Parts: sequence; C-alpha cells; structure tokens
Amino acid sequence: MNELISTLKQEIIEVLNLEGMTPDGIDDNAPLFNGGDPSVAGLGLDSIDALELIVLMERNYGIKLKNASEGKEIFKSVATMADYISKNRTK
Amino acid sequence: MAVYIQSAAQITIQSPLCDDWFTSPIRREGRYFRSVEPDFKAFIDPMASRRMGRLLKRAIASAMTALDGYEAPLDAIVTGTGLGCIETTEKFLNAMLRDGEQALPPSFFMQSTHNTIGSVIAQRLKCHGYNNTFTHRGTSFDCALQDALAQFELNDISSALVCANDEMTEAYFQLFDQIGYWKAEEVTEAMFHHPTTEGSFAGEVSAAFLLNTQPTQQTFCRIEGLEVLFEPTDERFRQAVEALLGKADISREEVDAVVCGYNADRTNDEVYTRRLMPLFPQTTQIYYKHLFGEGFSASAMGYYVAATCLKRGEIPAHIRFKEGKTAQPKHILVYNHFQDKDHSIALLSC
Repeated sequence: MNELISTLKQEIIEVLNLEGMTPDGIDDNAPLFNGGDPSVAGLGLDSIDALELIVLMERNYGIKLKNASEGKEIFKSVATMADYISKNRTK
Repeated sequence: MAVYIQSAAQITIQSPLCDDWFTSPIRREGRYFRSVEPDFKAFIDPMASRRMGRLLKRAIASAMTALDGYEAPLDAIVTGTGLGCIETTEKFLNAMLRDGEQALPPSFFMQSTHNTIGSVIAQRLKCHGYNNTFTHRGTSFDCALQDALAQFELNDISSALVCANDEMTEAYFQLFDQIGYWKAEEVTEAMFHHPTTEGSFAGEVSAAFLLNTQPTQQTFCRIEGLEVLFEPTDERFRQAVEALLGKADISREEVDAVVCGYNADRTNDEVYTRRLMPLFPQTTQIYYKHLFGEGFSASAMGYYVAATCLKRGEIPAHIRFKEGKTAQPKHILVYNHFQDKDHSIALLSC
C-alpha cells in the first residue's frame, strides 16, 4: 500500500501540475479538497482537479467511476484514493 | 471620439515587460526563438496558474502590467490570436491519440479554444464587460483593435484592453517550415535589407494595450483611425490611406514615419515597397520584425513600436529601415499585410 500511495502522490503532482510540491510534502490523510475554505488544511483542489483525478484513475488503473456520489469518499485523501484503487484496479 | 493608448506591455523574444529593446535590443540571428519569460509568480499564484499553459501566463502577465496603476473600471477585453493556445491544443490531441479517445484530460480540453485567452484574462481581472476574440492569421490583432475602436465609436465602452497572444510550438514551427514560411538558413539582420529568398524567422508575441478616452501625462499616443482591407488594389489602398489621413486632417507629407512589417521574405517585403513607395517616397520607414520575429501576432509589435516612438519622441537608429525626415515624430502610420491579402493601416499621433 505504501508503494501505491507514493506512486499515486507522484502521479497527482504530475497530472495536477503542483509545482514545487514533493510526494513527501503531501500528508496521506490530509483532505484533497477544502471546499473553497482556505482554513481547512490540505491540497485545496477544486472541481476541475476532481475531473483530472477521475481521468487519472481511469487511465492509469483502469477504474471507471460509475457512481458520482462515491467520489466524495474516494477523493477524501490520498490514502482513501489508494485504498479504493487497490480494491478496484483492473491494471 | 478620440481613443488613446495609455499603456502597453510585451512579452516577446526581447527582454520582457520593459522597453530595453528601444535602447539595447537583443540581436537575433537564427530561425526560431521562444519568448523571454518573466517570473510569473509575481503575477499569478502558482496554485492558480498550474493549469495554465505558457501562453495564458504570458497573456495575464502582459495584461496586468499594462493595467498597472489603472484604477478605473475596464469595459472590454478584445484579443487577437492566430493560433490560440496551440501548445495546449497539441497536448490535448496527443492525449487523445495516446488514450484512444477514452480518457481526455479536462484542463487541456478547456484551454484548447482560441477565446480561452480573453476569458482567462477577464477572470483574472474580474472584468465582466465586452469580451471578444479575433482570429485572422497575421491580422488578428489589427482586427481586434478595429473591433475595440468600433465599440468606442458606438459609445458602448470608454476603456478597453486590446491584446495579441501567439506562441510558436516546435511542431507548428516544423509544419510552417514545410510550406516555406521560414528561411532554410539562419536569418541575419542584413537579410532584411537585401532579401533574396522567401521565408522569415519565428518569434512569439504577447502584447497588451490599455485604451481609453482620457489623455494623461503617461499617454503613449492617440489612435486616429484604422482600416482593415482585403485584397485591395493599389488604387483602393491609396484611397484608404488618403481617407485615413483626411480624417485626421493631415497630409502625406506630414506623416513622419511608416512602420512596416518587413520580415526578410522577398515576396512579403516587395508588397510594402510596391504599396508605399508611390505614396511615401521620402518618408522614414521603421521595421521591427528583426527584433521580434514573425508570427500571427507580430503586427501588434508594429503598433507597440510606433506608440513607443511617439511617446519618447524619437526613432532609434536600429529600427530605421529607410531614412527620411529626422524630426521628432508626431504622426506614424502603421502598415501591416498578410500574404498581400489581408491589409491594415492605422494612424497614430501625439
């Protein structure tokens, strides 16, 4: 799982073009989205980033999200994403 | 209604966001140059700019620099671009190929339209006013400027940001190369004075001009008028020049200089000579593409150069193509054409 988390962080940095950020700088459990509230710690991603993450999961892990409402839980943090990927990946 | 250029900013193959090109230009000899970029972090938060391609960052930085210190509302943003965000478009198309059109990256998709540039500038400046984009190859900026002037004339706006933005990717450079758009050999400054072959050299331009109706101490110049013509005969061209000058109530002899888009391409340059020599045989000619290169937005730098000369009251030697009058310039005609089809003439005065 640790290896997947590390790989996933690197992929997120690349696909979202998070300049100056390193995998070590991303907390496994920190929220990916803050709903526009800067006081919430985490990456502060937005809805377009969510689309990019959906594309990332499909392209790199063969996962097609069927239910949009699942996204809120899946994209809570890098750890939840990695957990979902490890259970549902097809490649 | 008089319209003035209040400020201007450029990011090109010269030093960015300044007028070093006027006193100490970077001399270019080659076939292909990318813009010299400023530190974008001074203009855009890295988190906000991470999805933007280079052209969008340049567009925002040049727009914000042109608007630096401007407090009044901005009524319009009009953009000229020949290729739009072509670098992002290429990334999007490559991703389509790579992924079999299955998983398309949304950011690249969103930026793969020409009017992304104007809308991103508007978002950044929080300008909810008139927003339009013109794509007409080498006269894209001229058409954008013409539209802005029309909006002023209709009294629909009293200020506008008029921009030109184009980048030249490696892939597009090679495509143009195949149709002889660039010279086979490295372009030198001497070739501009004695062009013997077709082709020019590639540059990139992001330029922004703030226009409004109130002259100030910082005003660059007044735009007396602009005409865009399609395949004019020599007679139609002469009539358009006369009409433009007549509207400003000046004679041909009072024009201090004509800015021309000489680009070292024999066929391109011959058009300037053929059209202008009968009308302005003794007038100083200014060239600028030896400093900024060729590209769909290059003509914007003709206006930029003319406006800067008028503001500073001089025409430096390194942009004089043909010597004429040496007096402090008051009226400069800007003439641009694209493949002798699309033509534009504008008169700027101070």
